[in-house]
Amino acid sequence: MIKDTSKQSWLANLPWVPVRAAMFDYAMTLAQVPARKFYWDAKIFTETIKEVFDYYGFDTILTAADIYNHEVEALGAKLVYSDNAMPTIDSREPLVKEPKDLLMLKTPDFYHDGRLPYSLDCTKLRAQYFGVYSGIFCGAISLAVGLRSYPLLIRDMRKQPSFAHELLTFVVDEVLVPFAKVQKEYCKVPRTVGADAWASVPNLSVKDLKEWAVPYNQRLRTKAKEFGIDAVTVSGEYCEERPDQFNAEVMKGCLDVQVDSMGAPTLSLIQGRWHEYPLEPVREYTAKYREQGTEVRVTAGVYARLLRDGPISEIVKTIKRFINTFARDHELTIHLANIPFDTPPDHVHAAVAAVHTFGRKPIADNLDEIEFKPPKRESFQEWRKIKGI
Amino acid sequence: MSPDTLSEIQKAVLQGEDDSALNLIRQALAASISPLAIINEAIVPGIMEAGYLWNKGIYFLPEVVLSAETFREAMGLLAPLISPHEVKTAGKIVIGAVAGDVHTLGKRIVVTMLQAAGYEVVDLGEDVPNTTFINRVREYQPDILGLGSYMTTTNRAMEEIIRNLEANGLRSQVKVLIGGASTSQEYASKIGADAWGRDAVDAVAKARHLIRNKSK
Repeated sequence: MIKDTSKQSWLANLPWVPVRAAMFDYAMTLAQVPARKFYWDAKIFTETIKEVFDYYGFDTILTAADIYNHEVEALGAKLVYSDNAMPTIDSREPLVKEPKDLLMLKTPDFYHDGRLPYSLDCTKLRAQYFGVYSGIFCGAISLAVGLRSYPLLIRDMRKQPSFAHELLTFVVDEVLVPFAKVQKEYCKVPRTVGADAWASVPNLSVKDLKEWAVPYNQRLRTKAKEFGIDAVTVSGEYCEERPDQFNAEVMKGCLDVQVDSMGAPTLSLIQGRWHEYPLEPVREYTAKYREQGTEVRVTAGVYARLLRDGPISEIVKTIKRFINTFARDHELTIHLANIPFDTPPDHVHAAVAAVHTFGRKPIADNLDEIEFKPPKRESFQEWRKIKGI
Repeated sequence: MSPDTLSEIQKAVLQGEDDSALNLIRQALAASISPLAIINEAIVPGIMEAGYLWNKGIYFLPEVVLSAETFREAMGLLAPLISPHEVKTAGKIVIGAVAGDVHTLGKRIVVTMLQAAGYEVVDLGEDVPNTTFINRVREYQPDILGLGSYMTTTNRAMEEIIRNLEANGLRSQVKVLIGGASTSQEYASKIGADAWGRDAVDAVAKARHLIRNKSK
């Protein structure tokens, strides 16, 4: 049976709020798989993720490896490779150093160039192993940063905007639209999702996001739709590192960017310090949709550094607060955001158990009445032995 | 030369208008305004105001980056015109992104802000081997060693460098300030760093605090 994540119906039928994770270096380290296999061999990557997924009992998964690297690497950018970490773009030597360099770039061969075949196979295997029929790509702004570097792209936006538009047009028309088409044809996915961390506050202001991210996200959606694939980009995360500087108006501007980019009230509260921000302004924002009877999806993230540093009580409190605020009248998913490689397993077990305990449907009126004790679990290696792996 | 020239230079640095800043600086030099006066009364106040506006949530990262780039270009023009005895430093800082980490953006801004605050900064660059940090600490005898790591997997190097400082008998001579997207105060405490800089402006405040309390 095809599980269409665009509708998320199977997730909605779970007896609890679903919990998912992005856990690349984390899974690789826990399972002791070399980076040069994990980030090159789609089967090893997917099977490793699946083992760790089963160990923790996640409900769904974000299985896309070094999302920001595949297109830029295939276009010819320099990456740095490591024995124990995901590849990373060498921003010291951008591929497009001068505007004329853009003329040298051409649409990649998605079946052969760089690790794009690995990316495509990961998408295919994701469907096979997890029932998640969704592709992945690097969002337009982030890909432009990967090609040009952040300081140069910012300079282009301010001082030679016509070139910035040329670059973003190339990124969408010559890379992302054909990539979406290939994902549709090869991976048989009805939908593909773009990660776009560079297109977030404070990397860009809301004004910048509306001027530079939204139009290209919409252009991609429109063009990809012609090939029968829904290509949406998650731009506009609110990532203020200083909770005392939380600005509800700026945050709501970010949510506008998300809605305009996704084409629906599908909100991503993943990257920022949401364990410290007030959540009521998000409810204020979604009120207009709820009043209209429009379903609002919220993915609420447990901040990576909180997951690593703990304490468990704070992780559990954060999850409980997300559930208490959103789970009764939003379609909520809890996301463990890019779990750092050195996160204690107890923290992850506690997070999953907290979601399944406090998020059991129907959501209790008073979550404080629910008793919760973090589970004591065997180690991953012991679990593998028990399972005969 | 208009008395407003310095304030125009300051404004150009604040707004990240590098071409305009460099033209105005050349005009000021031609009008015999000293390079040091241009730095102290225009360039530094410009970048400091950018930091202030960032702290207030008025400036976003693009404005800070453009202002920092303008500061660097302005200093590139003016620094060779100043004799070393004219410069009083607030302290010496050796800084670099650790092995395996090639991210440049955050460190560039931190270096700029530290220089603007009067620190002598030795920038070792990116992907710096652990042994290089130890050797440079021995060579330059800085007040602070700044370590940047932007990926959790490269954080390990910071912990190792602190251990190596101890093993080489250098730990008591230098304060360690860490920063980068994958770091936190909790992590800094865990690995035995002396301070954590949340961002460039915070790093300057922490550096000031560390040097003030160094002898304590």
